Amino acid sequence: MSLASNIILPMLQIVVIAGLAPLVKGFINKIEARLQCRRGPSIFQLYYNLVKLLQKDAVVSETASWIFRATPYVTFVSILIITLLVPVLSSHVPVNFAGDVILIIYLFALGRFFLVLSSLDTGSAFGGMGGSREMMVSAMAEPAMMLSIFTVSLAAGSTNLGNITSTMLNTSIILLNPALFLAFAALAIVIIAETGRIPIDNPYTHLELTMIHEGMILEFSGRYFALIEWASCMKLLLLLTILVNTFLPWGVAPGLTFSGLILSFAVYLVKIGFFAILIVILEMSFAKIRLFRIPNLLGTAFVLSLLAIISHYMVS
Amino acid sequence: MAGHFFIISIILYIVGALFALCFYTWQKAGNFISLVFAAIAASFSIATAITMLSHGSRIHLDFQLLHPIITYDFLLDPLSSFFVLAISVVSFIASLYSLGYTRLYVNKRDTRFLGFTYNLFLLSMLLVVTANNAFVFMIVWELMALVSFFLVIFEHENPAARKAGFVYIVMAHIGSGLLAVAFFIMLSYAGSFGFDDFRNVASQVPATYKNIVFFLILIGFGIKAGIFPLHLWLPMAHPAAPSNVSMVMSGVMIKTAVYGFVRFYFEFLTPCPPWWGGIILIVGASSAILGILYALMERDIKTLLAYSSVENMGIILIGIGLAMIFKSYGFVSLSSLAMIAGLYHLINHAVFKCLLFGCAGNIYYSTHTRNIEELGGLIKRLRVTAPVFLVGALSISALPPLNGFMSEWLIFQSLLNGFNIPSVLIKIETMICGAVVALTGALVATCFIKAFGVSFLALPRSDHAQKAKEVPVVMYVSMGFLAMLCVCMGIFPAKIMMIINRVNTHLLGTNIMPAITSYDWLQTKSIHTNFTGLSPKSTTVLGIILLVVTFAILTIIRPGFARKSYETWTCGITPGTRLEYTATAFTRPFKTIFSSLYRPKVEVSSEYSVPHYFVKSVTYLGEITPIFEKYLYTPISNFVLNSSERVRWVHTGNIHLYLAYIFVTLLILILFFQ
Repeated sequence: MSLASNIILPMLQIVVIAGLAPLVKGFINKIEARLQCRRGPSIFQLYYNLVKLLQKDAVVSETASWIFRATPYVTFVSILIITLLVPVLSSHVPVNFAGDVILIIYLFALGRFFLVLSSLDTGSAFGGMGGSREMMVSAMAEPAMMLSIFTVSLAAGSTNLGNITSTMLNTSIILLNPALFLAFAALAIVIIAETGRIPIDNPYTHLELTMIHEGMILEFSGRYFALIEWASCMKLLLLLTILVNTFLPWGVAPGLTFSGLILSFAVYLVKIGFFAILIVILEMSFAKIRLFRIPNLLGTAFVLSLLAIISHYMVS
Repeated sequence: MAGHFFIISIILYIVGALFALCFYTWQKAGNFISLVFAAIAASFSIATAITMLSHGSRIHLDFQLLHPIITYDFLLDPLSSFFVLAISVVSFIASLYSLGYTRLYVNKRDTRFLGFTYNLFLLSMLLVVTANNAFVFMIVWELMALVSFFLVIFEHENPAARKAGFVYIVMAHIGSGLLAVAFFIMLSYAGSFGFDDFRNVASQVPATYKNIVFFLILIGFGIKAGIFPLHLWLPMAHPAAPSNVSMVMSGVMIKTAVYGFVRFYFEFLTPCPPWWGGIILIVGASSAILGILYALMERDIKTLLAYSSVENMGIILIGIGLAMIFKSYGFVSLSSLAMIAGLYHLINHAVFKCLLFGCAGNIYYSTHTRNIEELGGLIKRLRVTAPVFLVGALSISALPPLNGFMSEWLIFQSLLNGFNIPSVLIKIETMICGAVVALTGALVATCFIKAFGVSFLALPRSDHAQKAKEVPVVMYVSMGFLAMLCVCMGIFPAKIMMIINRVNTHLLGTNIMPAITSYDWLQTKSIHTNFTGLSPKSTTVLGIILLVVTFAILTIIRPGFARKSYETWTCGITPGTRLEYTATAFTRPFKTIFSSLYRPKVEVSSEYSVPHYFVKSVTYLGEITPIFEKYLYTPISNFVLNSSERVRWVHTGNIHLYLAYIFVTLLILILFFQ
C-alpha cells in the first residue's frame, strides 16, 4: 500500500468515527423521543453541546488532583487509538500490526480506570457510587466479552480485527455457524452493558442514586466534559462498528478504491442505523433492571459465549 | 568470569551479614554498611546473570567443604540465571530502599539482627535457585525459611506478627517435609542426591511414583507459592514483615517455588502426562480468581497486596501449566510461547509487586497506618510516591502500555493456541481459564482503583494522613526506578522475551524468537495463527502523537483555556471527609454478588439518647468469613491438637522411661531391617 493510503485511511477512520459518533447518539435520542410521542432535541444537538463546551473554561473541584485533569485526555486518546485499530470502511487497517482486539479491550479499560479514579478524586459520594457500579458492571461483562471475542478469533485464526474482517468477508456462511451466532448474541448484551444503555444503565437519568456512568462524570465541566462526552459517544459507535464489521462484514471494501469506500460508507451507515434503531426498540421495551440483577443478565451473556466456544470446538 | 562474580556476591552477602552483627554501638553505621554490601552483592549477581544469559552457557561450582560427606554443588544454567536475575534486581532495589526505610527502626530496636538476617535471606534465595544437589537444596531451602521466619517476627511485640510467624514456620516445614519425601523417592531411582542424576533417570521412574512425586512437589512448593488453598500463611506473613522485607518476600521469595515447579516438571519428571498440566491450570485459575476476590475485600494495604500476590502466582501457574500441556502433546514451540508468557509475568510481578510494597512502605513510613480507610489525599502530600504507585497499579491491572499488559497478552495468546490440543476437555479448560483471567483482570483493576483512589485521592480521612510528609529521597528514587522499568518492559517486550527464550532454548530445545518477532523489538506475533500482531512501541508512539494533536486542536478552539477551582457539589452540604466513598463502600457491590463466597456478617447496633427517637451513635461491624480457615484449617488443627492430647500420657517426664522408649524403638528397627 502506498504511503498516501497509510496516512489518509487512518485519518479517514478518525474523521468518520469522531464525526459520526455524536450523530448516532443524537439519532437514537431523536427516534426514542418520537416513539415516546415527544418532539425531542434536534438530531444534531450533541454537536451543538460539544461546540459550546469546547469553547468554555472549566470548573474543577478544589479537592481534585492532577488525576482529574489528566483523565479526559487519557480517555479520549485511548478511544482515538482504538479508532485506528478497528476496520471501519475498509478491511485494510493501516496500523493493523500495532494492536489487536485484546489491546482494544484493555484500552477501553485504561480509559475506564482513569474515569473511576477521577470519580473518587473529587471526594463526592455520587462519584464513588457511580465508579463502584461501573467497575461492577464492566467486571461482570469482561468474561463474556473475552470468550465471544475468542470464538471469533478462533474462527478467523487471528485476534487482529483487520484480519478477522477480511477472513469473515471471504467466508460465506457466517450467521449459519452456531458458534458465531451465539458469540454475536453474547457480545450484543455485553455492548449494551459497556455503553451504559437501558436495561443496564439509563443514560437520560440525572437522579443521583440511579446514575452509573453519569454519576461518575458529574464533576466534569467545559472542555473536560466535552472530551468525555465525545469519547463516550465514540465508544458506543466503535463497539457497534466492531459488532457489525466482525459478524456482518458485507459491504466492507476489501481494498482501497474511492468508489469502494463510498459504497462501503453507505452500507456502513445503513448497518449502524439499523443497530441504532434496535437499541431504541430495546430501550423502549424494557425498564432499567435492578442493580443486583445485572450479574444475572451478564451471566446469561457469559453462558452464551461459553456455549459459543464449545460449539465452535464441536463443529470444527 | 560469571562464576567469579557469583562467588564474590556470595562472599559480599556473608560479609555484609557479619558487619551488621559487629556494630553494637554504631547501629546506624552497621546497618548502612550491611545494606550497601547487600546492594553491591546484588549488582554482582545481576552481572553474573546477564553474562550467563547472554552466552546461554552453564557453569558448575563445587565447594569442597566437608568434601567426602557432602558436595556443595551449584549450577548456573539459563533457568537458574533467569531466576538469579529476577532475585538480584529486586534485592538490589530493596537494599537501596532499605537504606531509607530502616530509619524507622534505627535506635528503636536492634537493627543488627535485621541486617544480619536480611543479608542471609537474600543469599539463601540465590543459593536455592542454583543448588544442584537435593541435599544442598534442602539446606538452603530451610535456611531461606528460617531467616524469613525471623524477619516475619521482627516486630515480635505484636501478637499478630507472632501468630503469622508461627503459621508460616509450620506450613513451611510441612512443605519441606513433603519435598524431602519427593527427593527420597527420586533418590531411590537416581542413586544419588545430585540433580544431574535426577535428570538422567527421568524416564526410568515408574508412572505411579512419578504421580506421587508430582503431587508431593505440587503441595510442597505450592505452600511456598501460596496457591489456594495453601495460601494461609501468605496474607499473614507478608504484611507482618517490615516493608523492605515484604517486597522481597512477595517479589521473589515465592517465585522460588515456580523455579521448583519448572525444574521438576520440565527436567526431572519428563515426559509428563497432559493431566498434570490440566491440574496446574485449575490450581492457577482458582488461585487467580480467589486471590483477587479476597484482595478486593481487604482494607489493610499490605494484606491486599499479599492476596494479590496469590492472584499473580495463579496467573504465572496458568502459563506454566499450559506449557506443560503443550509439551506433553509435543507442541514444543507453543510450549515455549506459554513458558515465555508465564516467566514474563513472573518477572513483571517481581518488579511491580516490589514497587507496590515499597509504596505501601512509603505510606506506612509517613502515616504509620496501613488501613486505607484512614488515608486519603496523599497525592498532594506524597507527590512522588503517588505517581509511582499509580504506575504500579496500572501495570498490575494489565493496562497498556505497561508491562503487566504484555504478559497478560501473551497469556491470552497462549490460551487461544489451546485449540491445537487434541483433548476437548483440556481445550475447553483453556477457554474457561481465559474467561477467568479476563474476570480477574477486571477485578484487579477494581482492587487497585480502590487501593489508589481511597488512599491517595480526595480529602484526608485522618490526622495521620493530613500530616503525611514525603519520605526520604532514596525511598522514592528506588521505587521510581522500578516504575521506569515497568514502562520499559511494557514498551520493549522483545528484550525480555529474548532473555526468557534463552531459558527455553536450554529447557525445551526450541528457539521461537524468529517466529514471534518480526523486527527486532517492533512487533510480537503469535504463532500458529495466520497473523496476530501487537506492537506496544508503535501504539505508544501513536498515542503520544494523538495526544499532541488533540491538545493542539483544543488550544486552537479555545486559546486561553483556564480552570477555576470551586468546591465539589454535594447537594448544598459543605464537602467533607464523611461524604467520601470508603473502600468498604466501593467494593460493596462485589460483596453482594459474591456473597456465597464471602458469607458476610454485618452487625449494626444503634445507641439512643434519652428520648428514644434520637440516635446518638451507630456501630457498624462488617466482616467476611474466611472459609478456608474455618472449614479446612480449623478442623485439621483441632484434629492434631486432640490426637496429641490423647498420646500425652506417654510423656511422663521420667528420663528412664524415655531411654526405654529409645531402646525399644532400636530393637524394633533392628528386628525389621536387619
